Amino acid sequence: MSHRYPIRVNRRLFLSSVAMLTITAPAVSLARTISGALPWEPMTSDPPMQVVPGGWQFFTPQEAALVEAIVDRLIPHDDLSIGGKEAGCAVYIDRQLVGAFGTSSRLYTQGPFKPALPTQGYQGEANPAQRYRAGLAAIDAFLKQRDGKTFVELKPEDQDAFLTAMETGKIELPNGVKGPGFFGLMLQNTMEGFFADPVYGGNKDMVSWRMLGFPGARYDYRDHVAKHNQPYPQPPVSITGRPEWLGKGA
Amino acid sequence: MRTLALTLTAGLATLAWTCAIAADQADQIIRGQYQAVLGDCAGCHTRPGGKPLAGGLPLETPFGALIPPNITPDSETGIGNWSEADFRNMMKTGIGHNGVRLYPAMPYPAYTRMTDQDISDLWAYLTTVDPISNKVEANQLPFPLNIRLSMWGWNLLNFSETPFTPDPSKPAEWNRGAYIVQGPGHCGTCHTPKSFLGADKDSVFLQGASLQGWFAPDITNNAQSGLGKWSEDDLIQYLKTGVNAHSIASGPMAEAVENSTSKMTDADLKAVAVYLKSLGSDAGAAQPAKPDQARMVAGEAIYRDNCSACHGGDGSGAGALFPALTGNSIIAQDNTETLARLVLAGSQAVHTEHARTTPAMPSLAWRLNDQQVADVLTYVRNSWGNAAPAVSSGDVAAVRKELTQ
Repeated sequence: MSHRYPIRVNRRLFLSSVAMLTITAPAVSLARTISGALPWEPMTSDPPMQVVPGGWQFFTPQEAALVEAIVDRLIPHDDLSIGGKEAGCAVYIDRQLVGAFGTSSRLYTQGPFKPALPTQGYQGEANPAQRYRAGLAAIDAFLKQRDGKTFVELKPEDQDAFLTAMETGKIELPNGVKGPGFFGLMLQNTMEGFFADPVYGGNKDMVSWRMLGFPGARYDYRDHVAKHNQPYPQPPVSITGRPEWLGKGA
Repeated sequence: MRTLALTLTAGLATLAWTCAIAADQADQIIRGQYQAVLGDCAGCHTRPGGKPLAGGLPLETPFGALIPPNITPDSETGIGNWSEADFRNMMKTGIGHNGVRLYPAMPYPAYTRMTDQDISDLWAYLTTVDPISNKVEANQLPFPLNIRLSMWGWNLLNFSETPFTPDPSKPAEWNRGAYIVQGPGHCGTCHTPKSFLGADKDSVFLQGASLQGWFAPDITNNAQSGLGKWSEDDLIQYLKTGVNAHSIASGPMAEAVENSTSKMTDADLKAVAVYLKSLGSDAGAAQPAKPDQARMVAGEAIYRDNCSACHGGDGSGAGALFPALTGNSIIAQDNTETLARLVLAGSQAVHTEHARTTPAMPSLAWRLNDQQVADVLTYVRNSWGNAAPAVSSGDVAAVRKELTQ
């Protein structure tokens, strides 16, 4: 039985652990004691940075054109809404890739890097910024070799066919880029851009929220809880507000 | 044997006499400690988190900064060299030890109404405070105001040494309230409008004044801008806990509640309430013009999205947590400095023994521009039965500038 445990808890180990804990406990118990009013400062807030469209911060112009073409196939313009490009999905992805998401600065990024089960998500060494850089280059290289054209130059149905093949792993991208994994990353980020608050650069004019009837950054519905089978009357609101705040009407 | 008995008797008598003196002194010191509560000495003379009465944070007056000095009995840096006569003279006339003239940021124009007994008790208490060595250069005023002799002229124009005179036609409780409000409580120091020389304008006693970036509201019984909608019990509850159905204390009043009114006796709070409710004023009785409809529409949208979650769709608030905006006299003041400040900077409710939760309003300065703050305030001031003049974006801009300096 005991051979299953790499460390056997014997008497000596137990005693030395207790000793270690006793030594280190005072150091970790230096918590602050707060009495009276909770600490509070005027004029303090931690709002998200407003993404201002215009220019690319991560993508090269060539990469940007490719990403804009892809997001416009993932969310095409139709009678329900504008397309992914016009909604700002590429701007959203660009700004995310220069931030904490792109560099994985808030994730554990050291090895070991082992093959993952499908349920475990991406387990590789590259961060999202590196994956985009390599993935977009691989798409260009693949299409140039196969069709002599870039993705942007393909007809929409050919673009769809390529993306479908990439998603299902039917094609082999160069430089070891895994088609299904990179497709999944782009699809995920495009949806985020389309549905996230406009403050982050996508979802222009709250287009997806208007489409769905989602009321946006609100958090109190007490006045409406008892009104059954009635549509919620307020229009959506972004973290940065809504047009009605300007006194000009919607 | 007889000698021994005599000695013993004499000794016992002396001991009893000493004890009686000590007991008298102890009583006087305890009474003096309560005078320090009524007068809220600590509000100015104690720095937050600092040693009691060893000097406070700078007071930003319209004329310049004054730093409340060290009033512990330290002989180098405090008032250890003062006599009781010096102290009484200072409280009555604003002239301290060695003839130094005080600036009326020290509310001697109010303390002059205190009785000799109360001042004597307060002195007895102050001599028992821990002496702290802390040098304070009180006078930070620019030339020529930094010349203390200029206060001779100020006093000539604005000050007369007046003891409190009870009104025999009023009940003792009313007179006690009047004494606290006009004397040790020095409510008028914040709540009475000032002349251009910084003196109280007695004709508009307690009708609201601006100071240190806040507007101290009208606390007369005026129905619109004052306490007219408050019952005596509302007022007692507010002073005792900082919170009632109409309002939650914040800003400088939060400090006054925390250090002073929450520690007053119930009888004194009742007396203060009786007196304040008896003060009539007809200021602000005129019906203001209806604000521009477009601004009301914008203001309502901003209110729905930013304010209604806590203050309610109909401005009814949520008990002791979020103040009601209907019938709240702060909303109806002519001066909107406090309102703009609350929206821009946010605010935290007072902490008292009876109300410990300290709910806070977040700062909205990052989310709303000056026009939007002005529009939402205009909407709140003219909804649900409220009626007050529209707020201009320039008023908000001035407050924002002050807050971000």
